[in-house]
Amino acid sequence: MIQKFNYVAPKSLNSALKILSENKKAKILAGGTDIIPGFHIGSRRFADTELIVDIKKIQNLHSIKERKDFVEIGACVTFSELSENEIIRKYFPLLAKASETIGSVQIRNRATVVGNFVNNAPCADSVPPLLVYDAKIQIQSLKKVREISLQKFLIKPYTTALKKGEIVTKIIIPKPDENFVGDFYKLGRRRAVAISRISLAVLMKKSNDLIDEIRIASGAVTPIGTRLYELEKFAKNKLASSDTFKELAIKLGEKVLEITGLRWSSEYKLPVLQQVFYHLLEKVNQNEK
Amino acid sequence: MKSKLLKKIRIKFRLNGSQVEVETKPNKRLLDLLRDDLGLTGTKEGCSIGECGACTVLVNGKAVNSCLVLAGEIDGADIITIEGIANNGELHPLQENFLKYGAVQCGFCIPGMILSAYALLSTKRNPDEEEIKEAIAGNLCRCTGYKQIIEAIKHTIEEVNEKQVS
Repeated sequence: MIQKFNYVAPKSLNSALKILSENKKAKILAGGTDIIPGFHIGSRRFADTELIVDIKKIQNLHSIKERKDFVEIGACVTFSELSENEIIRKYFPLLAKASETIGSVQIRNRATVVGNFVNNAPCADSVPPLLVYDAKIQIQSLKKVREISLQKFLIKPYTTALKKGEIVTKIIIPKPDENFVGDFYKLGRRRAVAISRISLAVLMKKSNDLIDEIRIASGAVTPIGTRLYELEKFAKNKLASSDTFKELAIKLGEKVLEITGLRWSSEYKLPVLQQVFYHLLEKVNQNEK
Repeated sequence: MKSKLLKKIRIKFRLNGSQVEVETKPNKRLLDLLRDDLGLTGTKEGCSIGECGACTVLVNGKAVNSCLVLAGEIDGADIITIEGIANNGELHPLQENFLKYGAVQCGFCIPGMILSAYALLSTKRNPDEEEIKEAIAGNLCRCTGYKQIIEAIKHTIEEVNEKQVS
């Protein structure tokens, strides 16, 4: 038997927010694929939970909506729903690809994309794609609604800017310029049900042969999913060529070393990271529109 | 949670085609509800962290790990376990073919494996080998090496399609 807590499933956002504001030891449950096994293994992160607030009965948290310039993804949308959705596949193929690689069918049928970054594990696979698409999130409490960029929301491993009494209600992603091409790469120890060792997302837009804009994000090799703005700035207006990509790969290795420090695994991990990043850039470059 | 009492929850759902209503503890997982409260021990407890798939059941037609679901979450849902796929005592074609093609050794992973295959067959009429592998990628088997399992699923697909044609 897992630890003791009470369970409620409010039907409206307002009543969920009210319950959360009244119970300091309440935890939100959406997909449950992190928190329930967390209870089972006695994780200290969830040890003080006294009340589970299941938000899946709240109807308007389940939809993916296309607006004129952006797409909204509700807090209860699962990875299965995301990867099968035509709007997501059309505008955010990297996010669809990452969603397909997560866990297993059983996990994807429950796990939510919002839960993935609210949990904020270093290996959260949806984070690098969401970061390169400049995702924002909407957060609601009884008192107010606020919006924040995903990059700012993610603070450190397993810690976010979510305060007590707040719920992330949706992700808002601007539709990217159609000249962007990109790809998502994931390396795990096996194909399915694998915790990522390396994940990378790249979006690039060229004008003639020059890199007009490039967006790069990493996961698993950095403590949390991170945009690599220095590399992006370095690449801007450079020739989209193997030489530039090699330089970028070297810089990525240096940057990761700077962020994480020298580890026992650095000696073999960094060359692998640089190689896969280089190949990813070449692949994206050949995939031009 | 030391001082406060647990408030029992009452849930209604469909289980293998019949409507049921149960009262249970709020911290009970679906896996434990099925096995301990309802006596359906065909659903197996393996890793309990969502990796092995031994506890797979169908929730509203979708394969899920019952170790990752709380009992309260299935209120109003349609649940199918391994006990629910035979028809009037006659084994489901998947079950028949698992036996016929030697896909069962120790048997512990089989209920989950069959339900993952069942979920695939109910959404895709003619899945290829890659789709079969993807559908059962969340079900670990340490005995058979998967070959016979995949064979059994393939033969079931062929049989079902032949029946529909004729």
